[in-house]
Amino acid sequence: MRLRHGRIELELHQRARRDGLPLLLLHALYGSSADWGEAVAVWPGSIYALDFCGHGHSDWLTGGGYCPELLVGDADAALAHIGRAAVAGAGLGAYVALLLAGTRPADVPAALLLPGAGLDGSGATPDFSRRFPTHLIGVEPPASAARHDPLVCANEMSVRPIAYAQAFAETARRLLLFEDGAPRPPWWDAARQSPVAEVFSGDLDAALRRLALASRSDECAPPPLRRMER
Amino acid sequence: MGTILRYDQEPAYGRDVTEPTFPGVVPPERTASVDSLGVRLNLLEWGDPNAVPVVLTHGMWDHARSFAVFAPLLARRYRVIAVDARGHGDSEWAGAYTWLVDVLDIVAVLRWLARPCFLIGHSKGGGQATDAARAVPELVTKLVNIDGFGPPSQPDGDKPLPQRCLEFLDVRRRAAERQSWRPYKSLDELVERRRAQNPRLSREWLRYFSFHGAHADATGWRWKSDPFMAHGFGPWQPDWIAPSYATLRAPMLAITGSEADTWGPLPEHILAARLAHVPQLERRTIQGAGHFVHIEQPAETATVVLDWLEA
Repeated sequence: MRLRHGRIELELHQRARRDGLPLLLLHALYGSSADWGEAVAVWPGSIYALDFCGHGHSDWLTGGGYCPELLVGDADAALAHIGRAAVAGAGLGAYVALLLAGTRPADVPAALLLPGAGLDGSGATPDFSRRFPTHLIGVEPPASAARHDPLVCANEMSVRPIAYAQAFAETARRLLLFEDGAPRPPWWDAARQSPVAEVFSGDLDAALRRLALASRSDECAPPPLRRMER
Repeated sequence: MGTILRYDQEPAYGRDVTEPTFPGVVPPERTASVDSLGVRLNLLEWGDPNAVPVVLTHGMWDHARSFAVFAPLLARRYRVIAVDARGHGDSEWAGAYTWLVDVLDIVAVLRWLARPCFLIGHSKGGGQATDAARAVPELVTKLVNIDGFGPPSQPDGDKPLPQRCLEFLDVRRRAAERQSWRPYKSLDELVERRRAQNPRLSREWLRYFSFHGAHADATGWRWKSDPFMAHGFGPWQPDWIAPSYATLRAPMLAITGSEADTWGPLPEHILAARLAHVPQLERRTIQGAGHFVHIEQPAETATVVLDWLEA
């Protein structure tokens, strides 16, 4: 279905229609809703996968201007349509999921953060010796078959300060951080320190089952989640 | 959803209002368009096309005509190009507005000129001109920043970040309902609205400025600027300004007005601490001017700028 966000339209794919808490899936940078495949079939409720602006079947922004906060607006447009939902995000989508979960805790009972493209941004502080992305100017518009707008790479240059991530991690209801031993950026490590954060290892099915449990437990006020040891 | 009024729609109303005059205004001698990332930018030009270029960038909610007195004073010696930023004046509206793409838009204009130039920016345009000079140091010989040294502290910095993000998201959820500014009944109403924000600027000037910054249709007068720019949210911090200055290669002339205004000048200790990081710095204070230094004191500002550019 098509959703309106500002002047553009976003594509929101409904992947399953079931009773129970819906799941909103946020793909990684340069990805699309198609990336989730069938791996999410274990989710007990309805499943929605969003194409961020500039990606998949969603509209592109005239003249770029992509940044994570704008994509939080995309995800929020989906949330407004779906209603209360658990959120799972990969890479850039994980960062967006953190910001959304911290901003609308009443509507996002739990968020699952997964690795993927665009996870790092440009770090926790600006690097002023870095070149500006002037190579983007004068780039020929790609064929309409392109899967993403080349200007979405601006998300890779987004600074993600530790205190910024911390603020959202503290107001989020529940965070599940999927870890596999690979290094994680500073914002992720900051989110991990939140009292509502739980580190999780295993496969995606197990992570989603854990997410479903965390989302459900939120409704009946269970004991706090234990931090799982790896 | 309401009708979307765009810069390119023919005004059907208000043509009975003739272009206001203002002492010292010289109409642009030429206009040009530059494509930046798929957005058409409108440029106004004065002076000899073969002279060394001087590029002017305006501040938030302004437009290139804000230089209509200042630019001709520089054009006695230079080719002066004033840029309408995306979403402002007669440039196109864009899908989104971030600091980065505004800077890239300036770089697109500098690339289009294809020769080293002098770059002069006011307010937000001064900050972005400074970043453009950092982005393409080979194209900017000297930089003039007119009271564009950032806010004194984080706007809304006392509010928790998730609260600020919530307000941003709530505005965006409503944004589809508000595609353009509400219309004002007359040009004079626009002038009064603007004067409430910039009380140091005369009604006579604001009438000229607003005439070119708005268009009229059967419902009234609306700003040409894109209302979607009004709300933003992100991690940017004023602490980042000073270390960015340290990487500037072009000499900077920093100009401020002597008078307090609704915006600026920064408290001296904040301004001095930031400017201390500029490798090659000159400072000038223009007496009798607030934030809009080049509008309030165009002759004095032009003299200071010309002297410094040619020193």
